[in-house]
Amino acid sequence: MYDNEFFVVDMASCTSTGEIVNSLSLALETLNHSGKKIVLKLNDTYLNQSQLLSIQSLVTSYGCILDTIETINKETAQLAENMNIFVQKPIEKRVEEKYISNEEKTSDFIPFNINTENKSEIIPLKEANETHFQANLDALAQAQSEIDIQKDLLNAGINPNADFENIEKQISSQYIAPDDIVKTVEEFSKINNSLLDDFKAQEIKEEIKEEEKEDENEETQEELQDVEKNSIGVYKKAYDEYEAQEDQWEDVDFYETPTTDPVVSDSKNTTYINQTLRSGQVLESDGNVVIIGDCHPGSEIRAIGDITVWGVLSGIAHAGCKGNLNAKVRALKLNAVQLRIGNCYSRRPDGTNIPYIIKSSIFTPEEARVVDNEIMLFKINQN
Amino acid sequence: MAGSVIVITSGKGGVGKTTTSANIGTALAHMGNKVVLIDTDIGLRNLDLLLGLENRIVYTIVDVVEERCKLKQALVKDKKNPNLCLLAAAQTRDKSALDAEQLKDICDKLKEDFDYVLVDCPAGIEQGFQNAVAGANEAIVVTTPEMSAIRDADRIIGLLESKEGVDKYRLLVNRVRPNLIKSNDMMGVDDVVEILSCELIGVIPEDTNIITSTNKGEPVVNDEKSLAGMAYLNVAKRIMGEEVPLLDIDEPKTLIDKIKKFFAKKVQE
Repeated sequence: MYDNEFFVVDMASCTSTGEIVNSLSLALETLNHSGKKIVLKLNDTYLNQSQLLSIQSLVTSYGCILDTIETINKETAQLAENMNIFVQKPIEKRVEEKYISNEEKTSDFIPFNINTENKSEIIPLKEANETHFQANLDALAQAQSEIDIQKDLLNAGINPNADFENIEKQISSQYIAPDDIVKTVEEFSKINNSLLDDFKAQEIKEEIKEEEKEDENEETQEELQDVEKNSIGVYKKAYDEYEAQEDQWEDVDFYETPTTDPVVSDSKNTTYINQTLRSGQVLESDGNVVIIGDCHPGSEIRAIGDITVWGVLSGIAHAGCKGNLNAKVRALKLNAVQLRIGNCYSRRPDGTNIPYIIKSSIFTPEEARVVDNEIMLFKINQN
Repeated sequence: MAGSVIVITSGKGGVGKTTTSANIGTALAHMGNKVVLIDTDIGLRNLDLLLGLENRIVYTIVDVVEERCKLKQALVKDKKNPNLCLLAAAQTRDKSALDAEQLKDICDKLKEDFDYVLVDCPAGIEQGFQNAVAGANEAIVVTTPEMSAIRDADRIIGLLESKEGVDKYRLLVNRVRPNLIKSNDMMGVDDVVEILSCELIGVIPEDTNIITSTNKGEPVVNDEKSLAGMAYLNVAKRIMGEEVPLLDIDEPKTLIDKIKKFFAKKVQE
């Protein structure tokens, strides 16, 4: 129906002339098509002569010609005819047919919609530089996906600008050629194992000596168990796909498990504090703790019950410190260096060790619970 | 096998004791030595941050002293290098939580298992300094080419000389800016050594990489391109007994510098 010379602007959803002028100028600005004939689709909007004239002059100012107007409104049609503009009655189906038939052909027609605030549609037909549009679409899609990734990272509490992989690689390539990263891992684990063996061997020697002396035998056995069993795991997000990079070198942090019976706090006994907890400050409570404010790195909270922080939690939080595994830690932003619940210990994943937290960043309220002897982070109210 | 206990001290604060400890420790560990770093700056600990081990600390030196855990439990292994361990300071206590005898005991126990025990000393000459020096048989005095830092270093050297057990003390001049020395705005390294009349162990140039590495929790010796990193590696080699010439720390001349010089000469003529 329309060939290369025409450019159709759909303004059917626009109701006022202001909207029409606004979207039309936007459409003509974004796309380059001087010398084309414009087909303006108006649904039932009434335009008087001066308004029509202003639209016409707008179109001509962009180097185009207002050729045809599609409208149901009889008065507008009458006026347009007087101004030597073709008038057509809109056929709803035509556009749809065009769509379908062109989708089948694919190569000659790519529909391109700009959703302006007025929700008007602009449909160029047989646009000369199709590739340009395709590129635009691709760029848009890419930008969207990048934003999504960044959001995910932010949710995971990670600065999206940091290039952790590169840093990791740089470090491992310092002393051994970068191609052999896998090998180095093996080598390091070997060294690690051998070191552990050394430790064990030494302790076995000590054990033998002490067996001869026949005292403090039990202690050395305990030590051996400590070496084998204990190491701090990373706390993970239960809801996020992101998983912290696994430690290639198993860290050997030891802790003793308390053997006393768990003490559950009295829910009535709650400490309520309205200040920021700074580095070096310790808050101990035999009930629950509520803090209105931040907990800076280096601060420590120990409570027999739950811990709730209405702010950024960056220090160490130990809920249920007398062995209650059902205790919980909640915060508007959980960035804790270490989370401890009962006798479960976990640490923040490496790489998120940013020295400061941008407070204006979006808060993601989270709750830490123990699931299968592992501390997991949940969104508030997530099961 | 008994390793050596080296205390890193300065008197004045902010001259780079902790940075020096972290970097020398990492460098020594990379060269195959078993190294343990002890942070004695109780209440104001930073060494764990520089090494990026903040999130792994469960027990501290105070817990060891107060017998809440065993010494081995409190040692935190480095992420990258299994030869390197950290004995962290407590953040929630103060210097009085520890006394000299206790730290001496810890050092004596650790030097049986490790080649080098590096003790990061707090600023000042009070209890914290007395504790840190107690177990040491070697010392590295860190200073910068400024009058105030040199005065404090002089005082520290005096205290070290009167201390029994410290056989050897050497000077490390930190944050040197060759350009300022050339324009006579900063004391030269030779002048510093002359004033303090002390053996020199190394010269570390001012390096912006230090700031980024501190924030990342990654010692600067891991960065091969960094001038300060190279200087620290050399210091580590000297501690091991190698003879390494001093690093040429002159800043590389760029084309713009040459052009500036050319015009400066013209103006003078």
